[in-house]
Amino acid sequence: MTATAPSYPSVVPDAAPALVLDGITKTYRSKAGGVDALRGVTYHFPRGSFTAVMGPSGSGKSTLLQCAAGLDQPTTGVVVLGGVNLHGLSEVALTKLRREEMGFVFQAYNLLPSLTVYDNVALPLRLTGKRPHRNDILGVLEQVGLSDKVKRRPAELSGGQQQRVAIARALITKPSVFFADEPTGALDSNSSRQVLTLLREATDRAGQTVVMVTHDPVAAAYAERVVFLSDGLIAGHLDRGTPGQIAAAMSDLER
Amino acid sequence: MFFLSRQTVGRHRHLYAGSFVALAVGVFLLGLAATATAATIAYRGPSAGSIAVTTLGGDGMGPQRVSVSTSDQDVSGLQTVLSMVGAISGFITIFVIASTFAFAVASRRRELGLLRLIGATPGQIRRMILGEALVVALGASITGAVLAQLATPLLLAKASYTELAPVKLEPASPWVPLSIAVGIGLLVALLGARAAARRAGKVGAIDALREASLEPPRIGPVRVVFGLLFMAGSIVLLTLIKPSSGEAAVPLAMFTPMLLVISLTLLAPLIVPVLGRLWAAPLVAWTSVSGRLARSNVVAAPRRSASLAAPILTISAIAGSMVLSLSFAADSAAATLRDGMLAPIVVTGGDQAKVAATPGVAAVDAGLPVQFVRVSADYAQLEDAEGIDPAVASRTRRMTPVAGDLTALTGNTVAVSKEMSGFEHYRLGDEVPVTFLDRTTAKLKIVAIVPDAFGINPSFLLPLELARAHAPAAKPERMFVLPATGTDPAELVQRIEGAVPAVAWDAEQTAGVRKGNQLGLILLLGPAALYSAIAIANTLLMGSLQRRQEFVTSRLLGATPNQIRRMVLWESSLVGMVALSLGTAITVTVGVLIRHAMTAGVPDVPVTVPWGILLGIAGLCLTLAVGSALAPTAYILRVVGRETMVHQRQ
Repeated sequence: MTATAPSYPSVVPDAAPALVLDGITKTYRSKAGGVDALRGVTYHFPRGSFTAVMGPSGSGKSTLLQCAAGLDQPTTGVVVLGGVNLHGLSEVALTKLRREEMGFVFQAYNLLPSLTVYDNVALPLRLTGKRPHRNDILGVLEQVGLSDKVKRRPAELSGGQQQRVAIARALITKPSVFFADEPTGALDSNSSRQVLTLLREATDRAGQTVVMVTHDPVAAAYAERVVFLSDGLIAGHLDRGTPGQIAAAMSDLER
Repeated sequence: MFFLSRQTVGRHRHLYAGSFVALAVGVFLLGLAATATAATIAYRGPSAGSIAVTTLGGDGMGPQRVSVSTSDQDVSGLQTVLSMVGAISGFITIFVIASTFAFAVASRRRELGLLRLIGATPGQIRRMILGEALVVALGASITGAVLAQLATPLLLAKASYTELAPVKLEPASPWVPLSIAVGIGLLVALLGARAAARRAGKVGAIDALREASLEPPRIGPVRVVFGLLFMAGSIVLLTLIKPSSGEAAVPLAMFTPMLLVISLTLLAPLIVPVLGRLWAAPLVAWTSVSGRLARSNVVAAPRRSASLAAPILTISAIAGSMVLSLSFAADSAAATLRDGMLAPIVVTGGDQAKVAATPGVAAVDAGLPVQFVRVSADYAQLEDAEGIDPAVASRTRRMTPVAGDLTALTGNTVAVSKEMSGFEHYRLGDEVPVTFLDRTTAKLKIVAIVPDAFGINPSFLLPLELARAHAPAAKPERMFVLPATGTDPAELVQRIEGAVPAVAWDAEQTAGVRKGNQLGLILLLGPAALYSAIAIANTLLMGSLQRRQEFVTSRLLGATPNQIRRMVLWESSLVGMVALSLGTAITVTVGVLIRHAMTAGVPDVPVTVPWGILLGIAGLCLTLAVGSALAPTAYILRVVGRETMVHQRQ
């Protein structure tokens, strides 16, 4: 907890990792005593990387994502995102950081049902107080292949289309880090492929960083590195693995 | 955030339908009160009937020239009632809006969390909820105002030539009063939505990721503190309902319940589960599973149960205490009448000389009604007075002075009632400046202070000659007759035209008081009751509609539709009983206090508890509560039934 942003003076901005986790622990208090969800995770996510986080249920992968995105406070340890230490930030400062630097894609599509596709995508810009440019919105919608659904509402779209709207909404603010939690969990394989390709493109084309929690080896294979989590600790990693290799590593872990 | 508010209201139409109706009705009532008040203000009585006087000045105020209307075509009675209707409507609207918005926020935790996740600050969320309130309020207020404008001629036609406004009232320009009503509607909606908005601002981004939208079980310390403060305030006011408060006791008894209701509503999440557990005990013993489930649902969601109980508590407490207070006030008035009267016979509309000449009549107390404008430091007011012959009057009515001497009531003198002297701090020997209706001014020296006797003595008693001098045309309204010793009053009554036994006259007067009270109650409580009915139905409807998922799960787990219906029946009855027992507690407390205050020093006051009305209020509340919980449940079960069947086929 003593480390603050100035503790990383040697880091040159360009080479700086997009996201740094330093000694993250998270203990949930309950009546039966504490539950350690994370027991000391240190990891640097390089800028422009696509990292998948895998692990058995209860290994702490969702907690890791929530702490990394500033949605939850780690019990101890430091999270630095884009050079900013999240510890001690006010709710408003955190919100501003979130809307400028982070994009979110979750299993549940998380669109506002009352807004059209266009308005859903434009919402983060409006929340920032900027006037959304029509061409920008149509641009991202074209990028995710939904140019013809601009006026629809979420209920009129398929699950895969809704997920692509969510990605478009995350893309519009040009965030430096994407957080994805089981983004393909509720999709068929065809839709999954489209969604994962979009995330892959974000790193390849725009140099954005993607952190994706998943339990699906096929999805994880889109990442260049898979980090395995077990019992709240990093158990190892695998670079450029095939779905088969990743699945094998997972079953080793679960054994 | 306003663009979002506009769209989210459309989406959550069913959540806001209740607020819309409630607020529209509220603004309708407010608007009606406002336009009618405007009509009374616009009304000009006969211009000849007013007297201009100059106030005395003092307390930093200079003397002022004021004009006092002496016409009995007075519309202030209607104005008073209308302003009370307005106050009650406004009060209940705040409640309904607050509970509806609290609901709307609680049921949208995930959506609000999502907004926070994609970058909405707590402030923006707060503004969005307030914006929603504004959207709903604008539509509802304008609807209410239009309806009020349409209904105004009808109300004025009904109100004209009644006791409250004995004149013909014409609609005045509606723009100002309706703008005021719409403005109040908007203000009330925003006030009601404020707490909900603040709670919405506290929703965290992480709530978007949580499946369950369960409410936090704790209630905030601020809420508890305010609840206790209001409670303390009400207790202070309750202690003021004592014999020495005089006439102020009745308004206190009518309005302290409002404070108590606020306090109990704030503390309801703490109180409702406890009372719910108590009431559930027989239910659990009697039913198998549905009672037990109902108990858990009421106890486990204290905030929901509390907001369901609030409107029932509000109307039962306020209506109950008003009905009971007014009934006890009438009882006390009856006792005062009975005790203040010594003469056994009352004659109305007879000729004084003829009555006096009737054999067997010992004395006739024929007071002359007279009016004058009493001038005070900063105001002047038309007062009723009576010219009496103290020698006779002190034998026909109980008026032994508490101070001074009635035999000195000659010339420019006056005897004032105890209450009036307390009000104006009059003491023996003070001089009261007055202007009689014949425009002569005089200074009346106070020679005696007499006990209050409403219905028998007005607040000011003058020497008979003084009254006759300034009101030569006045005729006695009623005469109190003393029979000569040895004459049977019952027999004497037969021989005098227009005579009735004093007992019958008392009863008639009391009946008149009760009838007047009833009219007031209908005017005051009618709109409030209508309104609370909407509120009760609204909160329960919303509460039930939200439980669709729960009902689906229960059905899939094997609960029969009948079991679910029974559970909802017990649950809503339980909430209703909890609210009604709190309402009853308030009513009884107020009733006991007012009774004590009004009967101190008066023996044998009759007790009239309007059981029919009180039980009617309770029954209506309970029926509404159960009905509006069961109706949506039945609807959901039908829909769910179809869905589960489809499920099983797949």
